[in-house]
Amino acid sequence: MSPTSTASKKREKKLADVDGELCGICQACATVCPVNAIEVTEGYILVLPEKCTGCGTCVKVCPVGAITLIDR
Amino acid sequence: MKHVIVVGAGPAGSSTAVGALRAGADVTIIDRKTNVGIPVQCGEAIGKTGPGVAEIDIPEESIRAPLRGFRLFSPGQISVDYATKEPSGFTIDRRIFDKELFARATEAGADSLLGARVLDITQENGTVTGVVVRHDGKRKTLKAEVVIGADGVNSQIARLTGLRKSYKPDDIDSCFGYEMANCDLEVTDLMEFLLGSEISPRGYIWIFPKGEGRANVGIGIGGGVETKTAKEYLDHFLKHHDVAKRQLSNAKVIETRVGALPVCGPNKTNVVDGALLVGDAAGQVHPITGGGMGYAMVCGSIAGRVAAKCAQNESVKTSDLQQYEKEWRKLYGAEFDQSLKLRELILQTEDKTLDKLANIVTGESIVQMTAGKKVKIFMRAMATKDGKLIALMRELRKLRMV
Ligand SMILES: Cc1cc2nc3c(=O)[nH]c(=O)nc-3n(C[C@H](O)[C@H](O)[C@H](O)COP(=O)(O)OP(=O)(O)OC[C@H]3O[C@@H](n4cnc5c(N)ncnc54)[C@H](O)[C@@H]3O)c2cc1C
Ligand code: SF4
Ligand code: SF4
Repeated sequence: MSPTSTASKKREKKLADVDGELCGICQACATVCPVNAIEVTEGYILVLPEKCTGCGTCVKVCPVGAITLIDR
Repeated sequence: MKHVIVVGAGPAGSSTAVGALRAGADVTIIDRKTNVGIPVQCGEAIGKTGPGVAEIDIPEESIRAPLRGFRLFSPGQISVDYATKEPSGFTIDRRIFDKELFARATEAGADSLLGARVLDITQENGTVTGVVVRHDGKRKTLKAEVVIGADGVNSQIARLTGLRKSYKPDDIDSCFGYEMANCDLEVTDLMEFLLGSEISPRGYIWIFPKGEGRANVGIGIGGGVETKTAKEYLDHFLKHHDVAKRQLSNAKVIETRVGALPVCGPNKTNVVDGALLVGDAAGQVHPITGGGMGYAMVCGSIAGRVAAKCAQNESVKTSDLQQYEKEWRKLYGAEFDQSLKLRELILQTEDKTLDKLANIVTGESIVQMTAGKKVKIFMRAMATKDGKLIALMRELRKLRMV
């Protein structure tokens, strides 16, 4: 198995998790999510577990550090 | 009558709706919010980037304080001022601003559907024919001749039409801010901007006076910056930076704000058969200043008028709606192109060289440069005999900016 596919296997076991108390619904995470796995509503942010690949892109852009990758 | 759907009741959407109504279409504005304009995710300064105050009809009720210009601090705190005699912009209250623009659109005859989130678009033979929303817990389909995506930076209409999928982290700024009371501002009618890779990598810190000792103090950093979060950078600035200590050590936080800002310039194109994009959804935000409200309003009026005309002519193909692209790019296309290139150049420039640049520029030349226009600073730069500043001038000359 190539190293990249091992890495992607590892990532697939991860899931973005939003701390609702820190989140200010700025949508930064959703705009950069490559697979549109983050839904934005008036009151909260929702990560769709069936879509999220655990790539971590959203974690970088959050202005308040409200997102972490957790194990599935 | 022909029908236009506008998704988003921000400055872009409300202006689009008015444009379409005036040109004789039926309009429905859809927003996922039940309270338009809330939460505020903005620095709230208008009239200084892109269209001037004379070109946009700012709701008077929303005006907080007049602005005459700016004070820019280079990384080494060399300041450059720009001030007009008369007020040339305002800080506004966006809660009131967005609400009033929306009220104007509904008073002009637009229908509205609030608390309705767009989930999908409908298409027939490749032409967009409507949207699917979730409203009151139910899925509903609404049809129209033209669908306009004025749904902001995270535009679903952009994704669903394929006009823009997702942004790369560095294509957006990750923003955090406070509204503060009890500020001791040194200037109450200038916006302050602070640059520096230490204090705000790939972005800047702003202090915008709002009158009565209040100010919006915020930061935008490159979305790809991983050293610290935007909030951590701003809190550090407030605690340790001279400019903050002088003016904000007694200030109290009365609101916190977060936001995302597209800074990579407009989308390649913003029209497909049956749909178009406007405002943040189209990327119509100045890549250096981050200003977007003025562009959203002017481009919105154009978008609404063109969409209504095409709907009435029963011809809503890309080639028909292209008139909108042509008109708005004629106004701002060159400005966006040039300032995007200038942005890239500034991002590559070391802090020390920016200090040297601050020594030789005037406020007026900064205004010209951010508008994508040519300035006369070449000779002054040469006279410094600074290798890096001269190298920067050579690059600027390639862009025909000096
Ligand atoms: C921190 C920060 C500071 C800024 N400071 C300034 C400044 O000082 N001056 C300036 O000119 N600009 C500033 N801007 C930029 C400015 O805020 C935007 O350019 C402007 O709000 C764009 O207006 P818009 O109508 O395109 O989008 P928005 O104002 O974002 O409106 C989009 C609307 O669409 C709705 N929507 C989104 N998705 C859906 C969906 N799926 N279904 C239904 N409705 C939906 C949203 O609820 C929202 O009401 C700043 C931006 C940020 C983030
Ligand atoms: S981890 Fe990646 S796929 Fe999952 S929500 Fe974040 S950006 Fe999207
Ligand atoms: S980026 Fe952070 S603050 Fe913004 S919506 Fe996502 S989780 Fe919330």
